[in-house]
Amino acid sequence: MTYFLIDLLAMGMITSIMTIGLNMQYGFAGILNFTFYTFVGVGAYVTAVVTMGTPSGYGSESYILHWSLPWPIGLLIAGFVCALLGLAMIMVTIRRLRSDYLAIVTVSIGFIIWNLINNYIPLFDGGNGLFGIPYIAGGANMSNVQYSMMMGLIGLVVLVGALWLSRRIANSPYGRVLRAIREDEVIAESFEKPVRRARISIFMVGCFMAGVSGGLLAYYLTSWNPQGFLPIESFILMAALIIGGTGSNWGAIVGAFVIVELLTEISRYIPTFGSEATVGAVRAILIGLMLILFLMFRPEGIVPERPERWYRTGRVPGSEPSGLVGAIKRREAALWPSRTRQPLA
Amino acid sequence: MAEPDSPAAGVILDIQEVDFSYGGSQALSGCTFGVNRATVTGLIGPNGAGKSTLIEIIAGGLRPSAGTITFEGADIAGLGRVAIAKRGIVRTFQTSRELLRLPVIENVMLAAQNQYGENLLSGVFGKSKWAKQEKELREEAATLLEWVGLGHAMDQRAGSLSGGQRRLLDMARALMAKPKMLLLDEPTAGVYPAIVQLMAERINDVAKQGLAVLVVAHNMAFLEWVADDVVVMDQGRMLTRGHIDEVRRNELVTTAYLGG
Amino acid sequence: MLEAIGFGLVTAAVVAMAAVGLSLQVSVTNFINFAYGDFMTFGAYVAYAANSAGLNFFAAVAVGGVATALLGVLANLTVFRPFVRRKARVITLLISTIGLSFIVQNLIVIIWGTGAERYTVSIGNAHHVGPFLWTTGDMVIMVTAFVLLLGLHLMLRYTRFGKSLRATSNNPDLALASGIDTGRVVNYTWLIAGFFAAVAGVALAMELNTLRPVLGFNELFVVFGAIILGGIGRPYGAMLGALIIGILTEVSGAYLNPAYKGSIAFAVVVILLLVRPQGLLAAKGKSA
Repeated sequence: MTYFLIDLLAMGMITSIMTIGLNMQYGFAGILNFTFYTFVGVGAYVTAVVTMGTPSGYGSESYILHWSLPWPIGLLIAGFVCALLGLAMIMVTIRRLRSDYLAIVTVSIGFIIWNLINNYIPLFDGGNGLFGIPYIAGGANMSNVQYSMMMGLIGLVVLVGALWLSRRIANSPYGRVLRAIREDEVIAESFEKPVRRARISIFMVGCFMAGVSGGLLAYYLTSWNPQGFLPIESFILMAALIIGGTGSNWGAIVGAFVIVELLTEISRYIPTFGSEATVGAVRAILIGLMLILFLMFRPEGIVPERPERWYRTGRVPGSEPSGLVGAIKRREAALWPSRTRQPLA
Repeated sequence: MAEPDSPAAGVILDIQEVDFSYGGSQALSGCTFGVNRATVTGLIGPNGAGKSTLIEIIAGGLRPSAGTITFEGADIAGLGRVAIAKRGIVRTFQTSRELLRLPVIENVMLAAQNQYGENLLSGVFGKSKWAKQEKELREEAATLLEWVGLGHAMDQRAGSLSGGQRRLLDMARALMAKPKMLLLDEPTAGVYPAIVQLMAERINDVAKQGLAVLVVAHNMAFLEWVADDVVVMDQGRMLTRGHIDEVRRNELVTTAYLGG
Repeated sequence: MLEAIGFGLVTAAVVAMAAVGLSLQVSVTNFINFAYGDFMTFGAYVAYAANSAGLNFFAAVAVGGVATALLGVLANLTVFRPFVRRKARVITLLISTIGLSFIVQNLIVIIWGTGAERYTVSIGNAHHVGPFLWTTGDMVIMVTAFVLLLGLHLMLRYTRFGKSLRATSNNPDLALASGIDTGRVVNYTWLIAGFFAAVAGVALAMELNTLRPVLGFNELFVVFGAIILGGIGRPYGAMLGALIIGILTEVSGAYLNPAYKGSIAFAVVVILLLVRPQGLLAAKGKSA
């Protein structure tokens, strides 16, 4: 039970880094990236091959590089590689595509990358994936619980960094430009804002986050294969962000935890019926239902986008929900009392 | 009227023989007139006369198929939106386009030109610089908003404003960019009469300070308040031009409106 | 090479049925449907259930088609119409289809499990037809696709409903103003799209000789490739797109490592979008 909770926390930290990165892309700038998790997957592989050295005793693993760099460097390299991959992808999609074209193209590119990794064995050992990714920070001598705890702490440190960056961006003139692009690109251009550069740069930052979180995942799980980043994962992240609160950093974190909770905790209470597949299916249906219901009845998500700095005069006009949503909001207010702090200016 | 290449004293924007067509239909053909500094020029005409197309072309949203547009002596025809904005022409839209989920004040702050911290690196690492600038911008935006009568609504989301308030916000936002010329596309559509009057006063204030204003409007009472001079367009070109009273009496104008 | 083209034609027939249904729906509703692949799966499973219960195979396919058509209408009434009424943005509708995809796909898992299933009919023997090598099943699929697409063409071109549908697709407001019940047109469109999805799903399961809950979801992106090639929301373009994608994947599969043949379709899509974002046949694009 303790292990379970600690594992949940550690995974929640890592997933939160992902949703914060996705939030930068979709929540801030409105860039619909339906293949975010591909970058997580690539980040995990890159981290693995630059830290795990020559193939160990697991047989005939074949992969590139064979470097044995220190683990934090591995995370950084993963981040930069993913940022560059993101640059390539955004250059393809930045032309004025309809939002749904963009969605399809991102998914398609994600699939090409997945297919390549799955089939081209010399790269990351194809469908077999990589095993024996080293435990970090002396983790080899720890128990599972201790290792989870440590990974949770490392995840927390990275998460705090990500949160700092994301908040700094959100409050800066750059963040305002991004939100302007999200709301109305023509307006942003009419006031000569650097629309193209802002889009490219925020996309790269989001992909950097994906790479780093993928690296953490690789260290935590110590193995990684193509089944770990199927297209569905990107959709789940998107659902997590929307349910948590698009555009809101805390919303991204809440979403990550809610979905992680849904993905793991609930299954502990419903294993009595059906097969394991049924349990997974029930979870997925819940996520799908929540996604649709939130879009319909509370599109701003559990934690709405940054209300504290915006509304010096207090209450948001016409947004005092009652019933279930109100209850959720009150609970959330209890969870995040800091939201009531005094605004700037 | 100004000659093609003489930036005559008062003329800031000179439109010469501009053509444009959407697919097959000719929206503008040989449209020619000039706009003076420190004056409000009204632009009227029946539906489909090409007023909005002309505004779009001046603002860089469309590229004219022929003709020249000279702004402060330089040809700007065919430049993009950003390039036009850089030269100091700022527009509002026929249907207001606010950044709905942003607070009113940030809508205005966005418009300030040459802000520090609008790039990733300066935004993240230059807080010491932009924090001060933000404070100044906030002050400036607040002053502008109070001036157009939106002081009480500064911190609401722009999406919560009424149609008339959005028009005022459009204007405040355009002025925040410190333009040399203001293009207003139907600023009075769907606006309460009281706000129309306030808007007229503000537009006159602005023109007195030296700005050229080109305003498309259907509301004659409003034009009487603001326009120093009115250009009447029909079928893609200028039909006549003059003071509003002259224009009203002009038979050509009556025919154009009635005959389509 | 010629044999590969023959296989390509079969693949194209399957993709075309799916792509035309989706494209028709997009042309009327103006949003992409990520749950469409799961509609295909659903139809294939219902047909499988009816077939296993002893119903004649073709009757079973019809049952699957009708069930999926109703599913489409149900989805429209419960999910999409409320969003449209609230004037939700295209992105919102798009994301809600992902939620729907989760729901449909996993309902299938709960009802039928994750195991691979098969129809009781076999795909028959291989025949040499000219230079091509086709099984009986292949030929049935191609004939079915031809008949369905022709029927749709005749309906769009010559019936009152077809006219209403095209009018709604071109300009919903204008259509509504000229007395067309656009709400009903949208519902009928979902019916047709669902029916095409189901038949395509069955054909796909026949071709793969196996039926799994991810059947349609995995095929979805090939279908997207076809409709992007043809220009989104252009049913006739989708047919051409399907033909190109089908032949391209099979022919490239014959020369390259077959494992990559799925990627070919996507690579083509990406390259095409770089060169011609509006699709092959598009003239004036619909705005988003």
